[in-house]
Amino acid sequence: MSAERQYELVYITPPDTTEEALAELHQQVASVVERFKGRIDRTEPWGRRRLAYSINNQREGNYVLEVIFGPAALTTELDRRLRVLDVVMRHLIVRVDEDLAVAERAKARRKAATVSRRVRRGLPPEPTETELHRRKDDDDDMDGGLEMGFRGGREQ
Amino acid sequence: MNEREKDGKGGGRGAAGKGEKGAKRTFFRRRRLCKFCVEKIDSISYKDVKVLSPFIPERGKIQPRRISGVCATHQRALQTAIKRARQIALVPYVTD
Repeated sequence: MSAERQYELVYITPPDTTEEALAELHQQVASVVERFKGRIDRTEPWGRRRLAYSINNQREGNYVLEVIFGPAALTTELDRRLRVLDVVMRHLIVRVDEDLAVAERAKARRKAATVSRRVRRGLPPEPTETELHRRKDDDDDMDGGLEMGFRGGREQ
Repeated sequence: MNEREKDGKGGGRGAAGKGEKGAKRTFFRRRRLCKFCVEKIDSISYKDVKVLSPFIPERGKIQPRRISGVCATHQRALQTAIKRARQIALVPYVTD
């Protein structure tokens, strides 16, 4: 197993945080990542969002998501640093590579099953555009019909 | 002392019996399907509040799968996703 793992870091800063403070915070995160020979894949600022509950008497927060590749030791250091900083109200580090791999496998398996089934029936392996639409319409009709029938029966 | 205990138990049994009698009508409920299996959602992300919110009723608790119809595998994934979302205040712990 490779030492490099994929992590997602989400942190929340108070809503009145300035651009410079955010840039500085990002720089701090980047420096920690660099020291452990990791890399930041991408940064997604979600902007201001309403919090589901108040943190430090704040109803809103500034969310930032960072996707990081690096070794496991990186997370402990990052976690420690972020906990000390006052600008960060809340943060979360989650390992995602395993979940993504599982999802990828499931997708591949489903696709392979579809292809083999279609080949067995003597159809081309990929469903055509018209086929997809027709199947969707059929489902809708049956759903509506059944439900109407039940409802009618109950009223009487 | 003994008699009192007996009385208490007897009352409880009687009440339960009544409840069963009332619910004798046969219900015709459609079998609920797992939303994630049907829509082929492979990974349930904590970031996706739109996906999670239907499984969080008013109170903020996680909806049991006997009500939502989610399969065991996806309920487990949903549970971790909701718990993570709670940590970063995307979803409430409780609301009253």
